[in-house]
Amino acid sequence: MGKKKSEVYSVEVNGIKDIETTDERDGKEEYRGLKNHLGYKKDHQKEELKKELDLDDHKLNTKELEDKYGTNTIRGLTSTKAAEILAQDGPNALSPPKETSEIIKFLKQMVGGFSILLWAGAVLCWIAYGIQFSEDKSASLDNVYLGVVLAVVVILTGIFAYYQEAKSTNIIASFSKMIPRQALVIRDGEKREIPAEQLVVGDIVEIKGGDQIPADIRILASHGCKVDNSSLTGESEPQSRSCDFTHENPLETKNIGFYSTTCLEGTATGMVINTGDRTIIGRIASLASGVGNEKTPIAIEIEHFVHIVAGVAVSIGVIFFIISVSMKYAVLQSVIFLIGIIVANVPEGLLAAVTVSLSLTAKRMAKKNCLVKNLEAVETLGSTSIICSDKTGTLTQNRMTVAHLWFDNQIYQADTSEDQNAQIFDQSSATWASLSKIVTLCNRAEFRPGQESVPIMKKIIVGDASETALLKFSEVIMGDVMERRKRNRKVAEIPFNSTNKFQLSIHETEDPNDKRFLLVMKGAPERILEKCSTIMIHGHEQPLDESTAEAFQTAYMELGGLGERVLGFCHLYLPEDEFPDTYPFDVETVNFPTSDLCFVGLLSLIDPPRSTVPDAVTKCRSAGIKVIMVTGDHPITAKAIARSVGIISANSETVEDIANRLNVPVEQVNKTEAKAAVVNGMELKEMSPEQLDEVLVNHTEIVFARTSPQQKLIIVEGCQRQDAVVAVTGDGVNDSPALKKADIGIAMGIAGSDAAKNAADMVLLDDNFASIVTGIEEGRLIFDNLKKIIAFTLTKNIAELCPFLIFIIAGIPLPIGTITILFIDLGTDVIPSIALAYEKAESDIMNRKPRHKKKDRLVNQQLALYSYLHIGILQSLGGFLAYFTVYAEQGFKPASLVFLRSEWEDDYINDLEDSYGQEWTRYQREYLEWTGYTAFFVAIMVQQIADLIIRKTRRNSIFQQGLFRNKVIWLGIASQIIIALILSFGFGSITALNFTTLRVQYWFVAVPYAVVIWLYDEFRKLLIRRYPGSWWDKNMYY
Amino acid sequence: MVNEKEKKTGGQVLEEWKEFVWNPRTHEFMGRTGTSWAFILLFYLVFYGFLTALFTLTMWVMLQTVSDHIPTYQDQLATPGLMIRPKTENLEVLVNLSDTKSWNQHVQILDKFLEPYNDSVQAQKNDVCRPGHYYEQPDNGVLNYPKRACQFNRTQLGDCSGLSDPTHYGYSTGQPCVFIKMNRVINFYAGANQSMNVTCVGKRNEDAKNLGDFTMFPANGNIDLMYFPYYGKKFHVNYTQPLVAVKFMNVTPNVEVNVECRINAVNIATNDERDKFAGRVAFKLRIIKKT
Repeated sequence: MGKKKSEVYSVEVNGIKDIETTDERDGKEEYRGLKNHLGYKKDHQKEELKKELDLDDHKLNTKELEDKYGTNTIRGLTSTKAAEILAQDGPNALSPPKETSEIIKFLKQMVGGFSILLWAGAVLCWIAYGIQFSEDKSASLDNVYLGVVLAVVVILTGIFAYYQEAKSTNIIASFSKMIPRQALVIRDGEKREIPAEQLVVGDIVEIKGGDQIPADIRILASHGCKVDNSSLTGESEPQSRSCDFTHENPLETKNIGFYSTTCLEGTATGMVINTGDRTIIGRIASLASGVGNEKTPIAIEIEHFVHIVAGVAVSIGVIFFIISVSMKYAVLQSVIFLIGIIVANVPEGLLAAVTVSLSLTAKRMAKKNCLVKNLEAVETLGSTSIICSDKTGTLTQNRMTVAHLWFDNQIYQADTSEDQNAQIFDQSSATWASLSKIVTLCNRAEFRPGQESVPIMKKIIVGDASETALLKFSEVIMGDVMERRKRNRKVAEIPFNSTNKFQLSIHETEDPNDKRFLLVMKGAPERILEKCSTIMIHGHEQPLDESTAEAFQTAYMELGGLGERVLGFCHLYLPEDEFPDTYPFDVETVNFPTSDLCFVGLLSLIDPPRSTVPDAVTKCRSAGIKVIMVTGDHPITAKAIARSVGIISANSETVEDIANRLNVPVEQVNKTEAKAAVVNGMELKEMSPEQLDEVLVNHTEIVFARTSPQQKLIIVEGCQRQDAVVAVTGDGVNDSPALKKADIGIAMGIAGSDAAKNAADMVLLDDNFASIVTGIEEGRLIFDNLKKIIAFTLTKNIAELCPFLIFIIAGIPLPIGTITILFIDLGTDVIPSIALAYEKAESDIMNRKPRHKKKDRLVNQQLALYSYLHIGILQSLGGFLAYFTVYAEQGFKPASLVFLRSEWEDDYINDLEDSYGQEWTRYQREYLEWTGYTAFFVAIMVQQIADLIIRKTRRNSIFQQGLFRNKVIWLGIASQIIIALILSFGFGSITALNFTTLRVQYWFVAVPYAVVIWLYDEFRKLLIRRYPGSWWDKNMYY
Repeated sequence: MVNEKEKKTGGQVLEEWKEFVWNPRTHEFMGRTGTSWAFILLFYLVFYGFLTALFTLTMWVMLQTVSDHIPTYQDQLATPGLMIRPKTENLEVLVNLSDTKSWNQHVQILDKFLEPYNDSVQAQKNDVCRPGHYYEQPDNGVLNYPKRACQFNRTQLGDCSGLSDPTHYGYSTGQPCVFIKMNRVINFYAGANQSMNVTCVGKRNEDAKNLGDFTMFPANGNIDLMYFPYYGKKFHVNYTQPLVAVKFMNVTPNVEVNVECRINAVNIATNDERDKFAGRVAFKLRIIKKT
């Protein structure tokens, strides 16, 4: 890993390279191509990703471009040249990732998990039959049936798993949907429409509003061209495109248009500089699929568990194979024993039960707005230890809202909650009356008509974000804004532009006696203040002196410091004599005053945090989960929001804060003193991985601001280096690599792009951070419950295994048959084990630390030992009691059974004497043997009921947990009993299944053992609760 | 991170294993310190001691409910099975006339089998009973009163008794005797108060032809009711179950002959599909004779 690191992170944005280095780059390209063939593709892709973009075409002038690509900007490429390049580069389309074929996927399921063991069992069965058949043509077909049953079990569970996997969607699909169909290209000096797929580097294309850009193009000429880059950068504001080189970074410069982004308005001509997979989006697409699915923690856990069980199965199998061979059993017999041991050891139904439990939780989570795409992600969320969250929309409401007002030398706070039904600040001041008038009038935003019945906050508004916020604000406080605007007819208007930085309009007043015009203006506070000579305090105009200007500065700084966007408002009543009714206002010549106005107040806007978020963040913190904010926003805004939602808690400081407080330079501050850190994207770019690690380790509260989506990936990897399980939220196309890389990628359901949704493991339907927290709770719960499920399921494996071992060693008639075992594993035990998934948490699971990926295993030593050697052994004893009871009551006392096996199973001995001198035919004995199977089966079933009840809790008494809180458990118990009844009474006459109709009392033989199991487990839990941290606790708590 | 794991070299794995087996830093053997091992072993000693006691107790309680004399249930024993003597490995009576050893083993088995039937033994131990009637011996208030058995004298077997028989039950001459016996079942009233007998036939047509004539002892293959009911080996100590001997007079040599014998009794079904030995017995007869 170490070596790769340096390679990966040392590569920087390549924009500064000279034109002359192109050749060298081509050489490198070739070398890379070679590497591809050698199978380094993944490394190569990773490298590409970290590098952001090595593109310098935006710095070249037209001439240089023509030279570079051998084209002509007027006449375009010749058709022959184009065809040549097309042949060389391939079509301009995203190549789908190499997919494992469905067959391979299916076959993988067929050999994964326990399947290989069961296949081995099946094959051994057939081999055994083959040998028997070659010796004796009339050999019984039992082994063939058993082999078939095992194969069917494997195939069915395989199909089940395959079906679950097939549900997860294909990531590349959404990318291909974005491909434009046709492109207008200049070739051989004439314009023609060709399929976009046939575009090649050097083609001159024309685009117009509404088109999707057909490839990465360098803009050569543009007329008011604006593009929507949101699918690439996540930024939703339209960006203008021109032929000027404006930024070193190709992503920021205005003269590059990107493949698959949309041209919103205007027209442009451009030269194709990259096609297909080499386009930016193509690289991201191949990255996202190249990053590959890391194994989910639960997959690793299940693998670990399968290894344990398989290890136990194989080693016991081999040991007893050797024992039985050395006990002079025939090899064939020993092989049949081996099959029995394998079947007894493998919990066939468990993996299906786990899958079902996960999907039940997934359903439950979907109800809470977490849509899980990949089942295993359900648990991953529970083991999450770091959440890298977006700000906009996830932590915040994703709409600008008025947060503060400043007038009469005082800051007022506005309500920023989601519904905002009451604004409670002091509205009695005359200044407020003026300010509210300006806010209402100097605003171009309008409600879309026909929404009278919609609540104000939900109405759709035409206008930009700030104006929308102001409109809603005034609508809430003053009521019908549109009506008010009508009463104050607008006579002239200068819209906002970036050079003026203000917006102005002139209105008639609503007072019929007042013939003056009202000039209202809003804009950047410093610009507004420049234009004012007076200020309104309590409704009276006062000259703007030093002290009021200072008060303004303080307020402006304070609001700005909160990360809020501050707007200044001023007005002027135009004197009636100078500006009579008919005065022709001309906005071009500005024939009216725009200075010496009266300053009225400030309003500050912010995208406020969602009201549920602070609580959710606190929950995360108490659950030991670190919440890191990653945003493209300005650090100040980011920090302000982080503070208001608690990502940076009230009493913690950043290095800068400490420096400020102590009045020392930042360098002198002891970095470990600062709990919080705000890291700028530019700083992050300079950091080595080690430095990033240091930041991540030393600070518990971190905000990354001004980060590019590419840097998200670096942050995620940094977190993963700390062995953390990282959840990442994202919505843009270029978040998809980070989403893929994260242990659990969470896409936004509302704001998210399709690509992000496809790359993610989970989709947050309401875009709300708080939903993640409920998801985490569910994930933790299912981990606990999976432990219980596995413990429950493993227990009876010993009760199935012991009969075989005793059978081999003591030579008693076989106590339980292989088919019978399958009926437990895939019959009576399935529903109860799933029922454990409905178990409620034993204590507040959100008050403990996230599990350590490597230390807190799903199946640990304690679980295995307790299940196998404690409860499992108890169950075996109960089973044997039932077995011996049946045999003794029917005539064979326990002592007579020992080493009876060879005679018992001899088909030609039809007068075997029992303990009473009676003689038995082979069939009579066989039927008794099946009765024994059934009794053993019922005994296990009865004790599994006790096992099910004790597994409800791992620490609490069953009475603390409540016996009846989980109703599904009782459904499970009922299913156990009903299935057993059906098997015994319903199928008792079908001898192929080896079940017989049992006498009623045999159903109750194991009940005392069931009670002992329950008492013993209560005793275990009692000691654990009484003596936490003791030897008992350490060895008995699983 | 997964990659790292994969890259572990064999040496590292060995090192890790070594450390697992004996960790010199923490003095841990297989992940546990000495005290920890002592604790855990002590725990399992106590725990399994308890389990042994528990199992012994429950088994003892269970066995207390089981009588020594008669089984609690006889669910599978509604129909007694038939069996032959000599008991051979796969129910094939093979007589190679030129190889004494091949049939001598049968003869020895039969000698031993028939010893308790010697008239002297029978006369000494068993009662003479009234034929055609069950020999019922109720306890009459005395618990577990020992039961007497009825005489079945070896001489009743006639030519097959093997008494002063130079032909060794006919095995030396290729006219072997096969003894049919019915499985003992406690308190089973075979025949339901009506007479019963054993009959034998060749299984298929060619078998019937090859089988030739045979003689049965006692005559007609009769089994008398007086030998029933059986009271179990604990009380019915000297019980000798009734036998029917079949002497095959002229079996076609050098072919395998499938013989099936069944009992004809009112309360014994002989047509059970699954249990091929319920009330019947099938065996093979093969006389090898050099021509």
